[in-house]
Amino acid sequence: MPKFYHDDEAWADIAPLPQDDGGLHPLAAISYSDEYSEAMGYLRAVMAKNEYSDRVLGLTEHIISMNPAHYTVWLYRANTISEIGRPLQDEIAWLNPTALKHMKNYQIWHHRHTIIDALGSADGEAEFISSMLEKDSKNYHVWSYRQWLVKRFDLFDKPEELEWTHSMIESDVRNNSAWNHRYYIVVGGREGKLSVELAKQEIGYTQAAIRKAPQNQSPWNYILGILRAAELPKSTLKDFTCEFADVQRPEEVYSSHALDILADIYAEEENSKENAAKALELLATKYDPIRANYWNYRKGLLDQPNIAA
Amino acid sequence: MAPASFETSRLNHARHVKYWRRNLKTLLPQYYTSNDSNRMLLALFTVSALDILGDLDAALSAEERQDHIDWVYSCQVPEGGFRPWPGSDFGKLRNQENKKWDPAHIPGTFFALLTLVVLRDDLQKVKRREILEWLVKMQRPEGSFGETLGSDGFVHGGHDSRFGYMATAIRWILRGNLEGSCEGVPDIDVDQFVTCVRAAECYDGGISEAPFSEAHGGFTCCAIAALAFLDRLPLSPSQKPDRVIRGVSDVPKTLHWLVSRQTLTLDEDDGLDTYNDETDSSETCHDAHTFVKMGAYQSVQGNSNSKGRPHIHYELEWVGMNGRCNKVADTCYAYWSCVPLQLLGRLDIVDRQPIRKWLLDKTQHMVGGFGKVTGDPPDLYHSFLGLLVIAMFGEPGLEGVDPALCITNKAKKHLESLSWRRRLTGMDDAQDEGITLAAERMHIQA
Ligand SMILES: [Zn+2]
Repeated sequence: MPKFYHDDEAWADIAPLPQDDGGLHPLAAISYSDEYSEAMGYLRAVMAKNEYSDRVLGLTEHIISMNPAHYTVWLYRANTISEIGRPLQDEIAWLNPTALKHMKNYQIWHHRHTIIDALGSADGEAEFISSMLEKDSKNYHVWSYRQWLVKRFDLFDKPEELEWTHSMIESDVRNNSAWNHRYYIVVGGREGKLSVELAKQEIGYTQAAIRKAPQNQSPWNYILGILRAAELPKSTLKDFTCEFADVQRPEEVYSSHALDILADIYAEEENSKENAAKALELLATKYDPIRANYWNYRKGLLDQPNIAA
Repeated sequence: MAPASFETSRLNHARHVKYWRRNLKTLLPQYYTSNDSNRMLLALFTVSALDILGDLDAALSAEERQDHIDWVYSCQVPEGGFRPWPGSDFGKLRNQENKKWDPAHIPGTFFALLTLVVLRDDLQKVKRREILEWLVKMQRPEGSFGETLGSDGFVHGGHDSRFGYMATAIRWILRGNLEGSCEGVPDIDVDQFVTCVRAAECYDGGISEAPFSEAHGGFTCCAIAALAFLDRLPLSPSQKPDRVIRGVSDVPKTLHWLVSRQTLTLDEDDGLDTYNDETDSSETCHDAHTFVKMGAYQSVQGNSNSKGRPHIHYELEWVGMNGRCNKVADTCYAYWSCVPLQLLGRLDIVDRQPIRKWLLDKTQHMVGGFGKVTGDPPDLYHSFLGLLVIAMFGEPGLEGVDPALCITNKAKKHLESLSWRRRLTGMDDAQDEGITLAAERMHIQA
């Protein structure tokens, strides 16, 4: 049911401030509902006099439900909360369902950071995140928020974080956000550097995931990232990639990504340029023709000395 | 060279004109209310789309054009910079105590300046000096830019490359490529910004919101466009190294990530893998969609799926682009992925024809405009970005565009010809002055 203010006793003292749309020919003018126009008029009126009160809290909530991208209404709400001393837990309780309604909104997350940071506790946040990811397991804001929590509350070395990430990968091995989060914990938590020992462990983990679905790019990207962080050469993966692709047996290729890496490995070897070219040709003509231009470009680079693809 | 079907995929020029004229002349439907605070973005898209379609002059009388210009200026805040909508304006009640709720806004300023340029205004009424002073305050110590400035000097908004893109574009619009202080106004910290962009590079070659976040087409495009505005993209091998910090740090890896955005996974159902083993059909192979396993992995279902197919590559005629690894194609990501390729000088490593065909055959809508995915109704955002991609591919009947600035080359030339800007950027000399003035006069008459 729409909510109006002009007939509400509690707002009788406020003269709404209507929107001035600057003359006869505004651009991108929207057919506002009466409800929205009126609420915005009251919002401008209370903002103009810096009123911080319970009724303001209700009004900001009303505006947010219709226009969550209104950037200053969130700041105004945050000010109001601190001015009237609203318990931060109450704000989080309100934010949970609101966030579920506006999953792709930036401002909500900024607000949540502010509140949780002030609360100084991540209690309940893992459950909240899980409920968000149930609706959209690759939601960018949710994963970014999870990273912020890990950093803010130093959860890098908590085994639960890696276990949870593993469970997310288990439930969808193609979820690139989950793989990225794993990288954040494993490599990001160590300032980008990785021991060979830990790298080996991660390589083993990723290889198992690739064997499950060899045409899934996420773990291939991940494993290359791990190699780089541990300063290991791509050729470390030569035997493994050969499980999925062999340029001598072009009919038996199980992963275009394996061919791609193999091409790089061959390009760096002495006297294997021909094999590299063969791998790229297979990609261009047979296994990944949608990127034919790219594979041909890579092939062209093989003839240029000292330029690694 | 072009397949026969090239002829059947057509940009329905008249419908697009109709769609954008309707957006210009009538109120946007109520569901745009959630975009109310982005009205300046919608404003730019509307006038720039008509400019790209070559219809802007016909669509507007001189008086209407002036009224639109005046509307944009009505969003300029007294301290300099623009609000992105009239919604936060207190009018006569605006004062020192409440102006914090009506701040200048980075996207608002970016889209307002471009809207003025597209409408061929001379930006003489823009508080240019104040904007440049404010830009410096909008940068955080680690290099990123925010959305608005609090009264306590705190920079509100995300730390990602979107605001950096718009801030560096504002700087380019108002002072070109000049580095260092300009007419007494200090410059932003360009080196620190480049450092910040590099810190958000991911292990797979894409760029993300923040260090160690997931690579994302939108952030990758914004970051690379910002580096272009700052003249900080990597030098080509033929150029002399200059010890200046540049980004991105590993161009081959970034190119690899960008071309990986081409996908045949065109809707959510394509993403389903019924047997959970990737074997049932080529449809289930994300980002290598035509990948056909010839060996023992092929399942019964896989065989039956490919039976009766005219050609194993026939579906390659339509290729979409996604914004992240293992996501479905979406009209706007054709923009976010192709623009950085163009800025890096390597648009040739994607095949433009199937992308064009996908946009025209799959997401172009009967009523004009483009939807997000096949079958979606058009919205201003996807309609504009889809049109920009088609235009940047050189579609006959469309104006040439500068896709990173979201305007036509003609509009950009207009900006570059303005006398105040030529003076600042050192482009001014007596010889050219006459030509410039003549060009400006012509625009006024247009
Ligand atoms: Zn989109």
